[in-house]
Amino acid sequence: MNFDDLNEIKEKLELCEKLGIKNLILEPKDDVQNISLEFKRIIKNITKINIYYRHTLKPDNLQDFKKRIKRFNNYPEILSVETSNKDIQIHAVRDSRVDLISFSHPEMIKTLTNGVISLAKQNNSFIELSLSSIMVKNRSIQSKNFRYLYRFIYKVRNLKANYILSGDFNELFDIRHPRALISICYTLLDIPLAEIKRAFKENPVRLLKKIEKRQNNAILENGVKLIK
Amino acid sequence: MVKIERQRYIIFQILKEEIFQIDQQEILRSIWQSIWRYFGMREANKTGLWLLELGEDYGIIRCSNVTKEVVLTALALIKEVKSKNVIISPIKTSGTIKAIKKIKNLKNK
Repeated sequence: MNFDDLNEIKEKLELCEKLGIKNLILEPKDDVQNISLEFKRIIKNITKINIYYRHTLKPDNLQDFKKRIKRFNNYPEILSVETSNKDIQIHAVRDSRVDLISFSHPEMIKTLTNGVISLAKQNNSFIELSLSSIMVKNRSIQSKNFRYLYRFIYKVRNLKANYILSGDFNELFDIRHPRALISICYTLLDIPLAEIKRAFKENPVRLLKKIEKRQNNAILENGVKLIK
Repeated sequence: MVKIERQRYIIFQILKEEIFQIDQQEILRSIWQSIWRYFGMREANKTGLWLLELGEDYGIIRCSNVTKEVVLTALALIKEVKSKNVIISPIKTSGTIKAIKKIKNLKNK
């Protein structure tokens, strides 16, 4: 979303409210690292939906990634990395500062390898696959996109990694309620209902808890809490 | 033993980009087109689709319990009616029309 255009945000939030969506993660279009408290307050006044924020890094090369990631120590929001470069993907998935490896575009999904998936599993980070490509009007492109999603979701499921399915729709009237997206995944992508619910509901909650823990100084590492 | 097929009632809301009237024929045509496009004859003949009610911004359909998810998917994947952008978003599914009518009344309040 363009964080400078409040009308656009308002329009999208109103539609989400009408659809009955209760939780949303917003992402700035531009390279905005810190989202101001003032902005968050304005958004809170506009809508009743629980809003969370994320930042997506789109580095050009490995050096660029290493340079930019330094600014994100103890980052209070969700930090994701989106790239088609396999070296960056491997570095990002190993980095504890990165919460999500995002694959939103079909061309990008094609670069997802078994190595990245198993590293994501080992490091307890999440893989994000976007469903935005299924709302394309062109039938042949749409069926191709379904095929890509089917193949790579199957790959991730096979390796038992943590994954999140997101909407990430660009157009206003492409937005759908998560329950409708669950039906689409169940019928057209052949994923069992329990697993889809995990990808839509439980895994995002786990991700948010991870961010919360990161902000808590008493938690030294996973499973170790300092009691005073 | 053959399982008896039951019915499911689905209430959905219609969100339109512009204000325009949608009649029963148009909404049914869109739903059938969507079912045909994504599932073909194999699923289409099992759905037992029936439009029970259509209001300004909501509708109630009946389908078979076996193809409930198919119908929900078809509804979600409808993007246009009369070449205008719409969202057809399922609100609730129930086994009885009474429960669906209750939700409709709550929505109207």
